[in-house]
Amino acid sequence: MEQLHNIGTQTDWVVMIIYLVAMLLFGSYFGKYNHDTNDFFFGGRRFSWWLIAISIVATGISSHSFVKYSAMGFTHGFSSSMAYMNDWFFVPFFLFGWLPIVVYSKIRSIPEYFEKRFSPSARFFVTILQLLYLVGYVGIGFLTMGKAILPLMPEHFTLFGFELRVTLMGLIIVIAVITGAYITFGGQTAVIFTDLVQGLMLLFAGLLVFILGIDYVGGWHVFWNLLPTDWKLPLAHFNNPPDFNFVGIFWQDGVAGSIGFLFMNMGLLMRFMAAKSVDEGRKAATFNILFMLPISAIVVSSGGWIGKAMSLMPNSPIPANTQPDNIFVVVSNIVAEPGMFGFIIASLAAALMSTISTLLNATAAIWVNDVDRPLRIWLGKIKRDEKQDEKKAMLVARVSTVSFTMLGVLAVIPFGSYPTVYEAHGFFHSTLTPPLVIAIFLGVFWKKFTPAGVIATVVGGTSLMVLGAYHPGLLISPFAHGTPMTQVHPYTYISALYNTLVCLTVGVIVTLFQNQLRKLVHQIKKNSNHSWMIAAMNGASVIIIGLVLLNFGSLQFLLVSTLVMTFFVALSSAYYIKYDPVAQTEGLTAWSIHKAQQMFKGRKLNEREGEKVRLIWKLKEENDGTANFSKKDMERLAAHEGDLVYISDARKYLGGLKSVHTIFGKPHNEEGIVYITKDHLRNGLFVEGRPMEAEKEM
Amino acid sequence: MPSFFNTWLPFIYLYGVGGLFFLGGMIIIRKAKGIDMRLKRHRFWWKVLIFGFFYFMIMHALLIIVALYW
Repeated sequence: MEQLHNIGTQTDWVVMIIYLVAMLLFGSYFGKYNHDTNDFFFGGRRFSWWLIAISIVATGISSHSFVKYSAMGFTHGFSSSMAYMNDWFFVPFFLFGWLPIVVYSKIRSIPEYFEKRFSPSARFFVTILQLLYLVGYVGIGFLTMGKAILPLMPEHFTLFGFELRVTLMGLIIVIAVITGAYITFGGQTAVIFTDLVQGLMLLFAGLLVFILGIDYVGGWHVFWNLLPTDWKLPLAHFNNPPDFNFVGIFWQDGVAGSIGFLFMNMGLLMRFMAAKSVDEGRKAATFNILFMLPISAIVVSSGGWIGKAMSLMPNSPIPANTQPDNIFVVVSNIVAEPGMFGFIIASLAAALMSTISTLLNATAAIWVNDVDRPLRIWLGKIKRDEKQDEKKAMLVARVSTVSFTMLGVLAVIPFGSYPTVYEAHGFFHSTLTPPLVIAIFLGVFWKKFTPAGVIATVVGGTSLMVLGAYHPGLLISPFAHGTPMTQVHPYTYISALYNTLVCLTVGVIVTLFQNQLRKLVHQIKKNSNHSWMIAAMNGASVIIIGLVLLNFGSLQFLLVSTLVMTFFVALSSAYYIKYDPVAQTEGLTAWSIHKAQQMFKGRKLNEREGEKVRLIWKLKEENDGTANFSKKDMERLAAHEGDLVYISDARKYLGGLKSVHTIFGKPHNEEGIVYITKDHLRNGLFVEGRPMEAEKEM
Repeated sequence: MPSFFNTWLPFIYLYGVGGLFFLGGMIIIRKAKGIDMRLKRHRFWWKVLIFGFFYFMIMHALLIIVALYW
C-alpha cells in the first residue's frame, strides 16, 4: 500500500518543535538531581505515589501506543481496549510478592535477583534475555514513532543542493539521536518529571481527538449508530480471525504480557522503585491499573474508532490508501485545526520518546550492574565487595545508553516486516517473555525452585519454543483453541500459551527431580573423568542448540535431542552450582517477605503505626548519617532510635522531589525541630525555613 | 445478533481462567503472609484487590450488554 506524506501544516511543525524543545529543556533541568547511579537509575527512591502513577501513564500508553491500538480499533472495534483491561489477575502476585522483594532485597536489576536467589550463571542467562527483551522493546518503540511521524514528512527534501528521500529508517535514526541525547543526560528523575507532564498531555490529546471526532461525525448518537453491533463489543471474537482474536490475545497480552510488564519490565519496575516506600508503589500501581488504564484504553484507541465511523459515512474523508498504522495521525489531521494537530502529534511523539527513554535507562542499569561490574570483578580490576567508582559508573551508564540506542535502531529491521505494529509487538511478547516470566514467577513463589530448574527453563524452554516457531502446525495447534493458522499469522498470539507451558513444564519437572539429579551428580563425581564427562555434555548441548536454531533434522529428532539437551543442562547446572536452599531463599521469595523487611532495615521491625509530623530543620555538625528528632515527636511518629525515617519538604505538589531517607538518631528535647547532616541537605535539596514532614518507614 | 463466540464466551473465559490466576495469587499471598491481615493497612489492600476483580468484571459485562441492546 502507498505511504501517505505531507500531512499537516507549517504551523503544526512550529508547535511540534516548540513542544519537543520545551520537553528537552524541562528534562535536562532535572539532571542536577543525579548525584550518583542511585539517583540516575532510581531517582533516589523518594517520590510520592501520584507522581509515579501519572508518570507511568506516558510509559504505559506509549509502549502499547496510539499507533497500534488505533490500528486495531480501526479494523476490529472497541475490543482494541482488551489489553488495557486484563491486567488485574496478576496484581496480587505483584503487590504482595514481587514488588516488596524487589525493594527490600535492594537489588538494582532483575538479573541481580537471579544471582542472589540462584547463582551467577543464572544471572548470566537472565541478563542476556533481559537485554534482548529491552532492546526489542526499544526497537518496537522506534518503529512506532517512525510510523507515526512519517505521514507528516514530505516524500523528499533538498539540503545543500542534495535531494534527500525521507524513509522510515532514516526518520528512525534521527529520532534515536534525539531520544538518546535526552536520556543520556537526564536520568530517572528527568524521565519521571517529563513523564508527569507528558502523561497529562497525552491523556488530554487523546481525549481531545475523541471529542472532536465525535463532534465531526455528528454527535454521539450518530457515531454509535454508524457502528455495527459486533464492532461495539469490548472483547474480540473467541478464536477468529488469526490476526486478532480473544483467546490468543488473552494468553499473549493478558498472561505473558501482563506478567512481563509487571514482573520483568525493568523500566516500569525502576519507576516503582523510585517510590518512597513499598506502600506508595502499591498505591501507584493500583491507581494506574484501576483508573488510568481504562481511560488510556479510550485515549489510545479513539483515533481508530472515530476513523471507522468516518469510513462508514457517505463521502468518507479517510483516504483510501490509509494504512491501519497511520489512522490515528490521519484522523487527528481531519478533526483538529492547524497547530492543534501539531500539539497532538508532538504529545504522541514526546510520550513515545519517554517510553524509549525509560527502557534505555533500564538497559543501561542492567549493563552497569550485570555486565560491566561482574566483568570488572572477573578481570580482577575491582574486588567483589568494593564500592563502585560513581564517576566511572555514570560514564559507563551514558556510553551504554548511546550503544543500546543504536542497537534499538537495528532491532527495528526484523519488526518492520510485520503487517502492523500490534502484530510485531504480539509476536515479541509471545516469544521473548515466557522463559523469563516463568523463571521469575517460580523463583519468587516456589521456594523449591532450583538453579538447575531456572537454567533448564531458560535454555531448554527457549529451545522448545524455537521448535514451536519452526513447526507451529504440529506443536502449537493442540493449544490453539481452534484459532486458524495461516502463513502470515502462524499462531502469532496463541503461541504464548505453548511457550509458557513448555517453559513451566521444564522448570517444574527439573525441580521435582532435583534429588535424583543430585544423586546422579554424586555418582558422576565418583568417576575420575567426571569433569570431562560434564564438558562433553556441555559440548553436546551447544551442538544441539545449534541444530535447533538452524532447524537441522526432522522434528522427532530435534524434539528428542532438545529433551536430552535439557537433561544435560540440568545435570551440568546441578554439577557446577553450589546452592544453599535456606540462605538463598531467605528474604528472596514471597514466603519470607517479613524477613526481607528485617534484612532491609538491618534490625527488628517496628510495626506500630504512627502519624506524620511537621518540623523545621537545623544543620548539625557531625555527619553520622542520622537525623535527630525530639522525644515528643518520636512518640507521635511511633519511632525508636535506629528506625528508618523519610523526611520531605512539606509542599505536597513536589511529590517528594526534595526528600531523603535516613535513620532516627538520639532524641533531643526541642519539639518541632529535626537536626540533619550536610549529606541530608545536599541529597534532599532542602530550602532553609521551609517546613518539612517526617514519617516513620519501618 | 453476534454469536456466543463473540459475546459471552470470551467474557466467561477471561474471568474463568483469569479468575483462577487471581484466586491462586490471593491464596498464595495470604498463605505466605505477604499480606498480613493483622495490619489495618493490609486489610484495606485485601479489600482493594477483591474490589478490583469485580470492578473489571462488571465493567466488561456492562459494556457487552450496552453493545448488544443499546
